[in-house]
Amino acid sequence: MKKPVYIFSDGELHRKDNTLYFEGENGRKFIPVENTSEIMIFGEVNLNKRFLEFISQSEIILHFFNHYGYYVGSFYPREHLNSGYMILKQAENYIDEKKRLYIAQKFVEGAYRNIRQVLKYYQNRGKNLDDIIYAIERLGDLIVGTSDVNELMAIEGNIREYYYKSFDEILGNSDFEFDVRSKRPPKNSLNVLISFGNSLMYTTVLSEVYKTHLDPRIGYLHSTNFRRFTLNLDVSEIFKPIVVDRVIFTVVGKSIIKKDDFDGDAEGLVLKDKAKMAFIEEYEDKLKTTIKHRTLGNNVSYRRLIRLELYKLEKHLMGEEEYQPFVAQW
Amino acid sequence: MYEEVTGSLMQSYNICKRQVWLMAHQIIPDQEHPYIEMGRLIDDISYDRDRKKLNFENVVIDLVRNDNGNLLVGEVKKSSKAEKSAKMQLLFYLYKLKQNGIVAKGQLFFPEERKKVDVYLTSEAELEIINAMKDITDIMSKDKAPSFEKIPYCKNCGYKEFCLS
Repeated sequence: MKKPVYIFSDGELHRKDNTLYFEGENGRKFIPVENTSEIMIFGEVNLNKRFLEFISQSEIILHFFNHYGYYVGSFYPREHLNSGYMILKQAENYIDEKKRLYIAQKFVEGAYRNIRQVLKYYQNRGKNLDDIIYAIERLGDLIVGTSDVNELMAIEGNIREYYYKSFDEILGNSDFEFDVRSKRPPKNSLNVLISFGNSLMYTTVLSEVYKTHLDPRIGYLHSTNFRRFTLNLDVSEIFKPIVVDRVIFTVVGKSIIKKDDFDGDAEGLVLKDKAKMAFIEEYEDKLKTTIKHRTLGNNVSYRRLIRLELYKLEKHLMGEEEYQPFVAQW
Repeated sequence: MYEEVTGSLMQSYNICKRQVWLMAHQIIPDQEHPYIEMGRLIDDISYDRDRKKLNFENVVIDLVRNDNGNLLVGEVKKSSKAEKSAKMQLLFYLYKLKQNGIVAKGQLFFPEERKKVDVYLTSEAELEIINAMKDITDIMSKDKAPSFEKIPYCKNCGYKEFCLS
């Protein structure tokens, strides 16, 4: 199994013949090309063209994050899986408003159903979430009837607003109060964790998209402008509640990340490297967790589920089978 | 219209028609599938001494050798389980060579099993190849992929997760 490599220290990335290594303060560390799916770069890293050439050849993506842990961008090597047919189908489904709306609705429906599932789980554990679940269900009923993507986005926004309000009840920790969703920069610790987790999710999905015949620039829910990656944002919506948010509940609930794991500066709050690493450990563990897949008949990890989601989308675009989003059973 | 028939399409043809269509539309199987990785590796390391990849038209031949003055073309496979489809692939190459005025002998190589199988382009086999080529062209030109059908081959197929997701 190929694995992501995370780099937190400062240093240089090098190519040496047909191997890669990272040279930091603590010496050289080799990166096994055959076993690396992507490199996540958090530290201050220098690299050169020779390195990028070899990375492209090895089909490894580089994802860059800034000091605050936000996603900066990716070095996405030239597509290695090219299917003109699939790209045409992807575009066809984007250009036709009706077809685009259908797919966008499915992404929101998946997000909604998984959000609901997370809330139901905590309701069963005695959290007082009845009102929020009720409100979210009323909004969820409206998804099918939306007539354009903007209207759909508005409903999705409202669902998320109610959903985030539930975090205070679920966490019951005054150090991590939600207040209001703030980004760039997040204004409180909980928002920092949400932003950080979502950034990781976007890159995970992007890495999976790279292994399919889909073009990440053509999304359906998030507007495409053909310059940015958007399809990964769309598919992330489905997995954020069941992966990222559950990781947040774990790291806060088990005090793996505490109030003093954050530093403040003029720009906003920063998660300390040690805490970022702890978060990533939980996140990677979650992606490795397997569940029994009904039609495949074997256990598949959450990371693999993301790939299967993309396959389902491909089959929808090909006109084979209508896309139905993954909904967690618990 | 899509491109011409290739060796891998001919190989798939005897296993799964859906696979033929998907491949023809460049929807290639999961490259991380263990069997596909293994196949790549076996292809890479076997018969290192005398192998020469031969490219002509849309055909890539694994191995070309001089066999007592005769031309011998070979196809390297992981296992002889799908021997029939491997044979069709090789016959297809022999047929293509013949179209270009080259007479050659074929041999299937199964390095893992230390096994070799001779393949001859008889007039019967030639007819079979011509029919298969026609059929493959038909499948490729279809608007949609042939629908999924579960067969024993699915178990270790690189398209398994695509078909069953």
